[in-house]
Amino acid sequence: MKEGKDYTAFEMMAAAGARELKDGEIVGVGLGLPVVATFLAKRTHAPNITILFELGIVDPEPLVVGVHGLSDPRLWYRAKIHSSFVDMLGTVLHKGIMDVGFLGGLEIDAFGNLNTTLLGDPKGKFRRFTGSGGGNDIASSARRTVVIIRHEARKLSKALSFITSPGYLGGGDDRSSVGLTGGPACVITDKAVFGFDPESKRMKIKTIHPGTDLDDVLSNMGFKPIVPENIPFTEPPTPEQVRLIREEIDPEKKYAR
Amino acid sequence: MSKLSTIKEAVASIQPGDHVSLSGFATARCSMAFAHEVIRQGLKDLTISQCVAAMDADILIGAGSVSKIIYGGGSRGRTGQHFCIRRAIESGSLEVEEYSSFSMAFRYLAGSLGLPFIPIRSLKGSDILSKLQTESPPVTGYVEDPFTGDQWLVLSPLTPDVAVVQVQVADEEGNAQILGPRWENEEQVKAAGRTIVITEKLVSTEIIRQDPDRTIVPGFLVSHVVQLPFAAHPSSVYQCYDFDSDHIDYFADASKTAEGFQAYLEEYVSGVKDHNAYLEKVGGLERLNSLAADPLLGY
Repeated sequence: MKEGKDYTAFEMMAAAGARELKDGEIVGVGLGLPVVATFLAKRTHAPNITILFELGIVDPEPLVVGVHGLSDPRLWYRAKIHSSFVDMLGTVLHKGIMDVGFLGGLEIDAFGNLNTTLLGDPKGKFRRFTGSGGGNDIASSARRTVVIIRHEARKLSKALSFITSPGYLGGGDDRSSVGLTGGPACVITDKAVFGFDPESKRMKIKTIHPGTDLDDVLSNMGFKPIVPENIPFTEPPTPEQVRLIREEIDPEKKYAR
Repeated sequence: MSKLSTIKEAVASIQPGDHVSLSGFATARCSMAFAHEVIRQGLKDLTISQCVAAMDADILIGAGSVSKIIYGGGSRGRTGQHFCIRRAIESGSLEVEEYSSFSMAFRYLAGSLGLPFIPIRSLKGSDILSKLQTESPPVTGYVEDPFTGDQWLVLSPLTPDVAVVQVQVADEEGNAQILGPRWENEEQVKAAGRTIVITEKLVSTEIIRQDPDRTIVPGFLVSHVVQLPFAAHPSSVYQCYDFDSDHIDYFADASKTAEGFQAYLEEYVSGVKDHNAYLEKVGGLERLNSLAADPLLGY
């Protein structure tokens, strides 16, 4: 925890992520911090969101959210539906009725393209990571996507080693020209919240978290985002949000580490 | 007709070069006893497929039983990467045909419906697609929608020779019920040439008939039914047992190096004569009882 604040950077990201979800929306959730942010939204301003996990889970009410991963049955507890990939990623996502896809990533570029596959040279020496899972599908077909990623120059990368999940590709109308609608709406880091310029589709600073400044934000990025003249501070998490995360959503700090 | 078999007989029915789909998702309902027996019998040169790589794929790849994987990526979740898969991909020793979860599920669905191809919105603009477009014979293509004139990316169907599926309940014909989420298991079974069912509980067909809306695997697609308790250990089987966190951690740690993984194989797989001996080795009845699912929680 940073000095003088009663919340951590992790809690700031979770609160900023939760804020992106509107009540009543259908949300496809990826592994990691998106799980915490989504349950935080559900327990605060958005009790009527429908939570989907790709493997076939609808609207669970887990007793503990801080768990092993999507395959942990603790996360399936009290679900309304147990079904399948074809149901979740097909009849909801592919059909076009998933409002928000909530993703994490290994690295992201200025146009919101995500890499979760490998770091290095795909044809030479590289380090292999997870690959797509449902990430590519959600990034391709959700009405909008929200990405949570740590604010480091190697993660906010000038050139990705591999495009696993499409953002706006090379920017401009690149995404629509390959036949995709939707796209990334928001990127949340531990220093700032970004949107995308409607024309160029380049990442644009929206807000900066209290306790940091523009220099700190820019000097820890591999590319230069659009910097508007006036940048407000991100609204910090409320004491109730902090309490929910610490006491109910992730008491064992499985995600907060 | 009874298709009851031992795990040895079921594995012996598979030929080198066969394409086998596996039923696991990360650390849930993994075909572990099946994988162990493949390794013990020295069966090699398999093609394996699944939407999200699970512990069954990882151990088979580490043991050198697999020459090709067709999958949508995957890890063990918060316990980390599948280190055997990572090593095999980084060293180039494994042929990889890589998709996303849904594009894999759609390929199985096309196979299950007998379709020649299936249009999909995923993959476009990604390096996953550009890599797939170099596959020979081709697995992707484009067709024009005859109604709108739109161009669609299409995928070829995926039809495994054998689907291996780890279930909670089955009868001796192979009519099987999967409790909890099913990921792509139903499409795998229905796309495959035949299915090997590995079940925690064997029940009479009368019990299946009393709850037929739960039957996901039709017996008429099944060649072998193997009853084997704790066959997915250390992964979980919803409503039967939880995953064995300690053993997964032990495996994760051991599999970080090729040497560590070989030592694990000798200790728990090749060095024990069968599944029952494996269950004794991992802690026997006392350990297994501690993993038993609470019926209210399902884990």
